[in-house]
Amino acid sequence: MNYQQFKRIKILTTSFVSATVAVAVVYNNIILALAGVIIGMIFLFFVRKKTKIILVDERVQNIAGQAARLTYVILTMTIAFLSLIFLGSGRRMNDINYETLGVILSYTTLFSIALYSLSYKYISKKYGETDDEQD
Amino acid sequence: MEKQMTNKIKVYRAMRNMTQEELANKVDVTRQTIIAIEKNKYVPSLGLAFKIARIFGETIENIFHYEK
Repeated sequence: MNYQQFKRIKILTTSFVSATVAVAVVYNNIILALAGVIIGMIFLFFVRKKTKIILVDERVQNIAGQAARLTYVILTMTIAFLSLIFLGSGRRMNDINYETLGVILSYTTLFSIALYSLSYKYISKKYGETDDEQD
Repeated sequence: MEKQMTNKIKVYRAMRNMTQEELANKVDVTRQTIIAIEKNKYVPSLGLAFKIARIFGETIENIFHYEK
């Protein structure tokens, strides 16, 4: 199997999952939607395992890392900004629901930052960061 | 961004009648990565640079050039 064939299989599988979910939404059947998604995931997992072609290399990992960092920055800033808006408007209008939403979003922001810091520290240690002094 | 790293992969590939796909398979990367390296849009890791140089039987300095 070459890369083009793999790409075609991926597109077909995605189309199958999309169609299944669309039908499931029309018939209001959550089991059908879940089954479609799970079958699609399992099928792609086995295709990836069976294929001999290289799908991930250092460039792909580099791009994924940069995209993940960008996503983290945008998402965290958006959630933080929204939490401030909800907290502010909740207090101004004396609406407990808005304020609660603001608090939840604030904690989500903090959790996201903490998770990023922890994973950064862990990966940094894996790649040789040390507190030892230089000789 | 100024191009600091250039390379002669395309030339060496042509000299050996090797396709991008064949080179990619030999050094365990995707064809897109070889294309990006040839266009100087991606600077390979030292490990990958060594692998590419060994495939062509050359030293890294003959294939990759660092310009300040």
